[in-house]
Amino acid sequence: MKQVYTVPALVLWRSFLWLYERGSWQYDLMVIAILGFVWLTPPAWLGDPTAHGPGLIGWLLEMLR
Amino acid sequence: MTFTGAIGTIVGYPLRGIIRASIALRIHPNILTLTGVVINVLAAWALGLHRFVLAGTLMIAANIFDYIDGKVARETHFDTPFGGFWDSVMDRFSDITLFIGLVYLYAELGRTDYVITSALAMMFSVMTSYTRARAESIIPKCKVGFMERPERIVLFMIGAFTNRMAAVLWVILVLSIVTVGARIYYTWRESSGGSRPEQDLAERLVRRT
Repeated sequence: MKQVYTVPALVLWRSFLWLYERGSWQYDLMVIAILGFVWLTPPAWLGDPTAHGPGLIGWLLEMLR
Repeated sequence: MTFTGAIGTIVGYPLRGIIRASIALRIHPNILTLTGVVINVLAAWALGLHRFVLAGTLMIAANIFDYIDGKVARETHFDTPFGGFWDSVMDRFSDITLFIGLVYLYAELGRTDYVITSALAMMFSVMTSYTRARAESIIPKCKVGFMERPERIVLFMIGAFTNRMAAVLWVILVLSIVTVGARIYYTWRESSGGSRPEQDLAERLVRRT
């Protein structure tokens, strides 16, 4: 009998049970994902009380219209 | 070298100079720790007044003290058990103070939703530290989870300097909840003599062919 790991389950589980050191490539990926969320999400989508404007994603969507 | 590793190396150069200066001036590391907390209180005050750039600048200053205190303690042989305890307790004060600044700001703006978000983020940030401290009284090590204090601090600074505090709060809240959950699970598994961390759940989420 052969065991086949489901990759998405493995990625999700390793992200939950995070054991990677700072400075590893996995850590870098997480940092990029977080910075992407923080800087690209339009403040209006989050109802940001202090920031306004469409943000980078909103600006790009506007450009594509 | 990775992206975050390179940033760490670059930032490390001026910090080493500050550490040398602190040692030369014979400043006690516990005083450095306390100075960091006092500056963080000022940063929280700036956050509460919606002066984010000032808050970010003060956070940088505060965290220089926070970073160097342990290094100075080791260099000057003042690294006592009480010093470690003092550092941990002061870190919690610093953490909570910044969140209180945000709670005040959002309350002033009449945004109850973000008052609750800030309060929850504060609760789970404290629980992140508590779960590890408590876990390590029953298991040797519980360094699991992404959202630890250095990540929180850097995120606070990014939120302050780029005026994206709401997004930062959501990241801190969600990843702190995940970290607390991971630490509870890890501690349960380690203390109950279950499978090792390497034999993680993904290995049980398998399809047998």
